[in-house]
Amino acid sequence: MRTRARPADRLRALQDALAGNARSPALLRSEPPVGAQESADVARLLNAGCAILASSVLADSSMEHYRGSFENKAMFVPPIVSTLALIASLHGASDRSARAERRRDAIYALSAAAAAAGFGFHLYNVGKRDGGFCWENFFYAAPIGAPWALLLSGTLGVAAERVRDTRPGGIPHIFGMAAGRLLAGLTSAGLLGTVGEVWLLHFRGAFQDPFMYLPVTLPPVGAGLLASAALSSKPKKRPLTRFWMKLVTVLGLAGMGFHIYGVHRNMGGWRNWSQNVLNGPPIPAPPSFTGLGLAGLAALRLLEGPKNE
Amino acid sequence: MTEDDPTRVPRAKNGRAPDVLRVGGWVPMRCFADDEQVDFVIVGTGAGGGTLSCKLSEYGFSVVALDVGPYWRPLEDFASDEHEQYKLYWTDERISGGEDALELGRNNSGQSVGGSMVHFAMVSLRFRPEWFKSRSLLGYGVDWPVDWREMWGYYREVEENLCLAGPIKYPWGPPRPRYPYRPHELNAAAKVLARGCEKLGIKWCSTPIATLSAPRGLAHPCVYRGFCIAGCSTNAKQSAINTWLPRALKAGAEIRDLAMVGRVELDANGRVRGVHYHREGQWRFQRARNVVVAGYAIETPRLLLNSACPQAPDGLANSSGLVGKYLMAHCNQGVYGVFDDEIRWYKAPPSLSLTEHWNYTDEGKDFDGGYAYMSQGPLPVEWSGTQTGNHKLWGESLLRDMERYNHYAGLKIVGECQAMETNTVRLADEKDRFGLPIANVTFAHSDNDKKLIAHAKNFMRTALEAAGGYDIWAEETETAHLMGTCRMGDDPRSSVVNPDGRTWDVPNLWICDGSLFPTSGGVNPSLTIQAMACRIADRIKALAARAEV
Repeated sequence: MRTRARPADRLRALQDALAGNARSPALLRSEPPVGAQESADVARLLNAGCAILASSVLADSSMEHYRGSFENKAMFVPPIVSTLALIASLHGASDRSARAERRRDAIYALSAAAAAAGFGFHLYNVGKRDGGFCWENFFYAAPIGAPWALLLSGTLGVAAERVRDTRPGGIPHIFGMAAGRLLAGLTSAGLLGTVGEVWLLHFRGAFQDPFMYLPVTLPPVGAGLLASAALSSKPKKRPLTRFWMKLVTVLGLAGMGFHIYGVHRNMGGWRNWSQNVLNGPPIPAPPSFTGLGLAGLAALRLLEGPKNE
Repeated sequence: MTEDDPTRVPRAKNGRAPDVLRVGGWVPMRCFADDEQVDFVIVGTGAGGGTLSCKLSEYGFSVVALDVGPYWRPLEDFASDEHEQYKLYWTDERISGGEDALELGRNNSGQSVGGSMVHFAMVSLRFRPEWFKSRSLLGYGVDWPVDWREMWGYYREVEENLCLAGPIKYPWGPPRPRYPYRPHELNAAAKVLARGCEKLGIKWCSTPIATLSAPRGLAHPCVYRGFCIAGCSTNAKQSAINTWLPRALKAGAEIRDLAMVGRVELDANGRVRGVHYHREGQWRFQRARNVVVAGYAIETPRLLLNSACPQAPDGLANSSGLVGKYLMAHCNQGVYGVFDDEIRWYKAPPSLSLTEHWNYTDEGKDFDGGYAYMSQGPLPVEWSGTQTGNHKLWGESLLRDMERYNHYAGLKIVGECQAMETNTVRLADEKDRFGLPIANVTFAHSDNDKKLIAHAKNFMRTALEAAGGYDIWAEETETAHLMGTCRMGDDPRSSVVNPDGRTWDVPNLWICDGSLFPTSGGVNPSLTIQAMACRIADRIKALAARAEV
């Protein structure tokens, strides 16, 4: 007779899973199997999330690196890679087939690797400045959180291909781990990382507008709900988590609106757009939350089981 | 001349005052008649008078604040032109003499509604706590009659009002709450200071500064235009004109621009009745229950001395004979050097980084007091003045060195000046455009000042070298902020005002500006002047509640 897995066991299983060990039968068993169409649909939703993340990175890194005069040749990498990731994601989002596509896979892996390298570059840029790893340099040197969005786009993209590859009637899995749980965990971590970056930059802006608190309060709740779904033992409907992911999705778009307004609060407003778009709050940054919100919804679909159930 | 020339025609009248945050804007203003006895007439609207006008009107007192300067709207009246902006300085005739005669105008006076804060460098530092008791604790100068812990609270109030942008953690002195806004990005000139300090192993930090690093209401964040001490045209600079005074107007104060106060009148009982002031071509008299003089270290003693009358033949509040004495001027020598890298020091506020190491370290000094030093960013005209004056360059050599403008960086002190009775503000025989005797200012550095300057120049030279500078040279003579001349104290024989800012001699005459300072400290005085004004306002409120005002 099988007893219900205790939280500690589940956690250990998840740790094993994250460490790349495929020995997590309890976790695998607890997710519902999906049909071919369903796995393709979930993958397409993930691709859509990736597309939004990639376009956010494309616009943001192009603007910020243009502002930095592309002083280092490596600064061309994120706009190029995110363009590829965007193309791959759009391709994936319109692809109804239930088979992984190698070129998409390669591009996603490349963008994740480029993002990891970018993180190293940005960290180096912070540390090399007078004062080293101090607040001022975290505020004004290369933003260490920025490559995060590209990393998420790449990682979620690779995950999307794995989900798409699910055998009809099988349980979607990624490198031996239950896909729904892994995606929920990944999205939860992605949300928290993004919140970290937002907090740093909104703290730099002294939270001068109360709305600046929204992206550091709403997404962490969503991250918590998703994490709890990832650790839960049974497939069940999660209306609150679903609602919260939709909220996070909308928040990303609303953030863009707030940033457009924020640009106007600089000297000269939108009349002086050529300077203020570069200097004001980054308009393309907030939709990262939209991308992650969609990824969260995709994870929920796997965790909750097919819609018609 | 257009009709709306704020230097000729007063703007603040007929129930409205300029809205400094909108081009061509107005805000409603309560107006009082000359024969209406208001609670307070405040002479001057700068760091002292502007702050006090706000606080007292918010406490419900009726306030009329008079300023001889124009009421600018920075957005429309300030140009990116150093010469044009000389209009912000007090350049009326004055006599300056003594061994180290002061250059008056540019960096030690102002003639605008908002006072010299309109062109202040925005550096907003707290006094080292020990300085309030420098005689008892450090063995020089005199003690202030106030406690540093009390001032600490008022500093906070001012920092919040100015929305200071400052470091997350201030490396010196007792803990303080976080500055309201985050520090600005350092410009290259500030990084030179940082590198020098790192190499020499002393602490440095980004300067707590009164220019916005994020939006605040209608005021935009700083665009690093660099014209700070020529007047900020964007309102990013937070000063009396766009913080305290709009609050004062809202609370019902009246501000009269282009209004020169010539005399404070005493009645037969030895109490002030009001002030005689000149506005729109005629002398008027405003009745008041109390008069506060806040004209800064030259104009405050000048007005008191010019108000001499049979009851007070040596000038008002001058039974101690100390009105106009103990004038202090911060030592302000700079050391400059050339760097291989482009610095472009005109970008951004001039002093974005600083070190207070020699304010808080007492070992290794052969002098009393302390100094802070800060990064620099003189604009070209000011820089050419330094080059022709202190550097003594002219002709071909001046031209050659000016070509290196973008590669220069510098460090400059705000150094404590010891108060000497022989440094004075007196009246001259000569008269100004209002027919009032002008000020005669006498100043010489003490031996201690000279030792401090030598120490600072030596240290800053080492720091610049360590940061990679060469062709280094130092300024000989330069002073900044003025203080003293109506010192505050516990004893009527050795001070002009009591700890509440009230003159010992005349119970309804007050002083609220930098002339109160018994010692100067090694930091820019504006934050302390404003904090003291907040404190005086609270004292007045408390005394009024006991019917003692």
